[in-house]
Amino acid sequence: MTSELEQELKHLIIDTLELEDVTPEDIDPDEPLFVEGLGLDSIDALELGLALQKRYGIKLESDSDETRHHFRNLRTLAALVEERRTA
Amino acid sequence: MTNDAAHGPLLAAPWRECDPARTVAWQTDAHAETPWRTLETFQSDVGAWQATLDAHAKSPCSWMLSTHDPYRFGCALIAAWERGDHVILPADTRPTTLEALDALDAARLGDIPGGLTASDTPHAPRWGTLEAARIAVTLYTSGSTGEPQRLDKSFAQLDAELAMHAALWPLEARLTLSQVSHQHIYGLLFSVLRPLCERAPFAAEMCRYPETLHLWLARWYAQTQREAVLISAPPTLERLPETLDWPAVDGILARIHSSGAPLPRNAAEHAQRLLGTEVHEVYGSSETGGIAWRIQSQNTGWTAFPGVEIRDDAEHQLWLRAPWLSTPATWTPQADRVVVEGTRFQLLGRSDRIAKVGGKRVSLTAFDRALGELPDVRRAHCTPLPRRDGRLGAIVELIPEAVPHDHDARRQLIQALRAALTPRFENAVLPRYWRFVEAWPRDAQGKLGATCLSRLFADLDDPRAPRWLGETLDGPQSARLILEVPERLAYAEGHFATQPVVPGVVMVRWALHAARESLGLHGVCRDMTRIKFPLLLLPGERVTLTLDVTHDSPREATHDKVHHRAHNNAHDNAHNDAHKNDMTTRLRFTFTSQRGTHGTGTLTLTPQEGAHHA
Repeated sequence: MTSELEQELKHLIIDTLELEDVTPEDIDPDEPLFVEGLGLDSIDALELGLALQKRYGIKLESDSDETRHHFRNLRTLAALVEERRTA
Repeated sequence: MTNDAAHGPLLAAPWRECDPARTVAWQTDAHAETPWRTLETFQSDVGAWQATLDAHAKSPCSWMLSTHDPYRFGCALIAAWERGDHVILPADTRPTTLEALDALDAARLGDIPGGLTASDTPHAPRWGTLEAARIAVTLYTSGSTGEPQRLDKSFAQLDAELAMHAALWPLEARLTLSQVSHQHIYGLLFSVLRPLCERAPFAAEMCRYPETLHLWLARWYAQTQREAVLISAPPTLERLPETLDWPAVDGILARIHSSGAPLPRNAAEHAQRLLGTEVHEVYGSSETGGIAWRIQSQNTGWTAFPGVEIRDDAEHQLWLRAPWLSTPATWTPQADRVVVEGTRFQLLGRSDRIAKVGGKRVSLTAFDRALGELPDVRRAHCTPLPRRDGRLGAIVELIPEAVPHDHDARRQLIQALRAALTPRFENAVLPRYWRFVEAWPRDAQGKLGATCLSRLFADLDDPRAPRWLGETLDGPQSARLILEVPERLAYAEGHFATQPVVPGVVMVRWALHAARESLGLHGVCRDMTRIKFPLLLLPGERVTLTLDVTHDSPREATHDKVHHRAHNNAHDNAHNDAHKNDMTTRLRFTFTSQRGTHGTGTLTLTPQEGAHHA
């Protein structure tokens, strides 16, 4: 089951990264976002970090283990936003 | 201007001569009173254009000129030149191309929206001075290797190249038949300026279809017992049908020219077999003009034109010097790689194209090759896109069975292609925007140029547009476009709560827009009939949009009885322009996919007054 926040994040990812071949239904919350799964890359990680900061006021170290953990899949990303959002 | 011996055929301005009966152009219409337009007629037509230009601007200025037929083009060009004016030649007549050039503040002339035309009454022409160093024309490259580039050509440059061609391949009173646009350097020189300057006749209209070519050759020979020369290009020569009675016109063509892109060897043999004479290919570019030529059936190597010096460097890059370059004394590098073999050279193709993605240098050529080697892929072209994210786009021609028809198939295919590239390339530089085509998109010059590229990726910047994946024009009044519904289409959301679909009104809007872009149809939709949307059209779905235009007119156009067969790339909005205003136009559209018909209907359009620049 996808939560409302997860649905919102799916749209954020698709719109931010302009993923033209991906619909929200294509993003499996448990599947990796990077490399396999959705196939995002290091440039996308930077873009996504900026978008999270803009939308939710969350600041992340760009190349830390912690960030890598949060960006693992949609569920970890949603958990991050729940916990740290200021906006 | 005196007839100085140092001048070539252009600066000698032979159209000013007092030789009223000399034939300038051949009338292609079988019902014309006379088969000829004489020098006397040409001079008075030049005068009529000058009357229009004088009424619009007194002092020398710039004009944007585009016409369908070579004769009117020649009249308008000479009229402007003799006034001391400079002429801009748009590469095509798409609204965006023309609107971009409007910034140059040059009034429009000819067969383009808002274009001025020659005065109806005859006028005496005025002859001015053609200074060798003056800029005669501004041309635009097709942009197959980047943004379209503006190129200025002086009279001296055009003159030097025309002199070379006249000496190498003299026309000697043969008829020139053109199948290429005179808006580009090859057509400008070969289809219009060469015959005009060599005092040889040219067909007044463009010869767009093989049936027309057959008919005109037979008629020309019956009238004159003289030979003809064909100015053609790979897309046309490749598609010559076997079914016409070519032996009946055998021996009439003395020479065929092809330029714009290398002619595949089997196409060269095909054309030579059907048309009965060798294809003289011309290799060159808008920047350089002509560089070299070959007859493939004799030798695949290219021979530099007289006056052109060539050499290659350690990286096999081609360098050249030619009298018609803007800096004739300077060795200039070309993007092509060659191997020089004695007096000839072999073309190895373009130097590697390099792009930067996320700060990393990547070879686009390597991507093209890697994709091209995959099963189901016929050909691929990767390109940087003028977008903030710097990601690459990929155009991939697939075998028909591999073409994706819906969202899931497309997504799986992209994942498979990315997975196939992953071992060799970093994830971050892989193409992000994929365009799958069944036929390689080309412009009339046979190139995947900037116009094609911008249409293929236009939906990225316009969330209301469908994804354009190619089109076929079946004559001037009908077109078939291949479209895909973008997943992020703005209209799709919110129509039905659970299932995003393309609303019917959007299909109507797409049909109208496509008719404008592809068939040059302008007008306001007044009525819709027989509108049906039997099947939902979903995001990711691939559809064929078929457009058929009919004009209801009190008088049916009779000047073009030639049967038009299916023909790619023949951008032809030529007909009926003059009568458009008293006509009602009907546009029939159908959207079909593998699943069935999604939308169909007939729209009634009436002319839109003064909306040309909208």
